Formats: sequence, structure tokens, C-alpha cells
Amino acid sequence: MDKLYCLHPNDASFLDDVKICLMNFIATSIESLGAKLTGWFTVGYGLVAFLVNALVLLMHPGTWNRATFDVVIKQVYFTSVQILHVFLAYSVVISWLIISIILSTARDFGLTEFATEMTIRVLVLELLPFLTALLIALRSGSAINTEVALMRVNNELDALDHCKVPPMQFEFMPRLIGGVISVIILAGLSGLLALLMAYLSIYGLSHAGFEPFTRTIAKIFDFRIVAGLLVKCGLFGLAVTLIPVVAGLETPKKFFMVPVSVLRGMMRVFFAIIAIEVVSLALKYI
Amino acid sequence: MLTALAALSDEVARVSPDLPLRANLSALDNIALIPLYQRHYSAADSTRQAARLLEQLGHAEIAPLRDPDMTPAQRFVTKLARALILNRPRLVIDRPGAMLYDVHYPEFIRQLAGRTEQDGIWEIHDFVWNQALYPL
Repeated sequence: MDKLYCLHPNDASFLDDVKICLMNFIATSIESLGAKLTGWFTVGYGLVAFLVNALVLLMHPGTWNRATFDVVIKQVYFTSVQILHVFLAYSVVISWLIISIILSTARDFGLTEFATEMTIRVLVLELLPFLTALLIALRSGSAINTEVALMRVNNELDALDHCKVPPMQFEFMPRLIGGVISVIILAGLSGLLALLMAYLSIYGLSHAGFEPFTRTIAKIFDFRIVAGLLVKCGLFGLAVTLIPVVAGLETPKKFFMVPVSVLRGMMRVFFAIIAIEVVSLALKYI
Repeated sequence: MLTALAALSDEVARVSPDLPLRANLSALDNIALIPLYQRHYSAADSTRQAARLLEQLGHAEIAPLRDPDMTPAQRFVTKLARALILNRPRLVIDRPGAMLYDVHYPEFIRQLAGRTEQDGIWEIHDFVWNQALYPL
């Protein structure tokens, strides 16, 4: 085959070409990084602005009428009460598995006396709130993202605006409050269930272990840990509702963009949940 | 023209294909939202007002239906009731043909107008080529 073009490494024009290519590559990389950073900043700013707006409205006495209260109750019902039986069954299975693993490992290493503490730290403080947030994100977060995106594409928000019905008060704020309350309640319930299962797995039906068990609980659950757990669950609740609402509102008015909006929203929710968990672990153990 | 009307939203109640109903709410709830959030009526009072308005328009049976389950005429009646309950001085029906493609709409709108107790002017904004549908 004939050579169409031949490059000589010592040729000055070749070096110039390489320099130009390199400069172009660096310029494109910087541009792409800048675009990404600007995008992240815009998303972050949008989230913070929306949250501030919601908090201001939350403090406003006019917001708390019967209608808003009813919508909040409905949201809590749809987000937590409706899935309670499934969620508790799933918590029992996960808790039982993790407790069994911890107990058998602790026995193998002769660390049975630490099994209770390990169970509480791993299961009640970390794993169950994390799994609760993931479940609510998959079930309610994706639904919220889709609904808000469809409302935007369908002009339903414009219609509410025309009727002077505030969408923040009627549609968005109840979802945020519902999400926070639901994650706290479900994480709390699954934690209690895990404690009960831990007791039964370690001590059986005997009363003998009650005193050391409750002493271990009291030792772990000081004010700092309880406050940290509540804040973490609250942040999980906000992440699984606030991010989908804002992602839905960012959707361009085109139906084919709705799946893209949900995809983006759910990716952001996932990263936010991971970030909250990592920061919480770092604050506690590093 | 319609952009100008949209800017006058405090004075004009619009019934328009661009202002859909809230899809996950029933006809009754779509109408009851207005007294509930704007005038801070109780849920029961707001629902009662909405039901009375639908009854007045002769379509009480559509109260539990949601947007996807309504016929175009039922959807129009709900939008009209929502606009009427806003109690604004002007009511503008924007491109009725785009919303009422299953009925002879000038007659249908005239019948609905005859049933309402509210004062005020109803304006219909339609395409020029539909002028023949509205005899003077």
C-alpha cells in the first residue's frame, strides 16, 4: 500500500503540529472542565436557592393553613405508611442477615461481648438509614421527578400560576416535608426492629441480657450520636425529594426530555446520598 | 393578543388549551383548589362550592373524573368552572375549537353561559376562518 503521508520526527513542521494538537487538547480539556464546573455550580445554586425559598415559605405563618397540612399528611402517607409492611419485612430480612454475620464473626474471633455494639453501629446508625434513603429515592424520588417534569412539560405549573395557586406551597413544600418525616420515621422504626432482633439473636427470650444490652445502647446513643443520626436522616429525606423536584423543574418543555430529567435527577440523588453517608462516617470515625 | 391577556392575569380568567388541568386531581379538586388556596376556605367549603358550580353547569357527574378520563367537553366544563370560580371581571375562552373538537362548540358554550349565575362578559378568541360559526 502506498504511503499517503509520512511524518518525520525531526521535521520542524511535525513538532509544530504536535504542539498545536497538545494545545488544542489542553484548551478543550479546560473548556470541558469549566463547563462541568459551571454546570455543577448552577445545579448547586439552583438547589440552595430552592431550599432557601422553601424554608422562607415554611417560616411564613400564612403557609400553615389546613390545605397545606392536609397535603403534607397525604405525602407522609404515600411515602411511608403505604410501604410500611414491605419496608418492615425487608428491614427484618436485612437486619437478620447482618446480625447473623456479625454474631458469627464475633464468635469466631472471640469478640462476642462487642457484638451488640457492632450491630448497633453498623446496622442502626449506618446501614438502615442508608437503605431507607435508597428505597425512598427509588420509590418516591423517581416518582416526584417524573411528576414535576410532566407538570412542567404539560404547562400545569403555568395553569396553577394563572389561578394564583402557589405551586411551592401546594406541590413542592409538602413533598420536601413528607420526605424528611418519612425517612426519619422509617429509619427509626427499622432501627428499633433491628435492636429487638439483635437482642433476640444474642440473648434469646431471656431477661438476663436486658441490663448489659440497654447499658450498651445508652453508651452509644449519647446526644451527639442521636443528633447526628437525626440530621443525617433529615438530609437524606431532603436529598431524595429536593433534588428530584429541582431536576423536574429544570426539564426543557419537551416530552422526550422527561426520561433524561429523571435520569439526571436520580444520579444526583445517588451521589448526594453517598456524599452524606461519607461525610457522616468521616465526622464520626476520623 | 393572548400574550397581552396572559399579562393581565389578575383581571382575566382564561379557559385555554395552554392551561391544562392538574392531571392527578379530580375535576372537583381542580376547581376546589382555588377557594382553598386563594381565599383560605376550609376543604369542605371549597369542595361544596366546586360541586355547586359543576351542578350549575349541568355536569355534576364529572366531579370524580380525572383529566385523562374526561371527554373533551367534560374537560372544557372543568376548565370553565375553574375559570368561573376565580371570580375575575373578564372571562376569555381561547381557541375553543382546540378544546371542544367533539361538539358543535358555539352552541355548547352558549348553553353553558345560559346556566351560570355570574355577571360579566365572556370573550371568545377564535381563528378568523371560524367567524361564520358565530352569527351576530
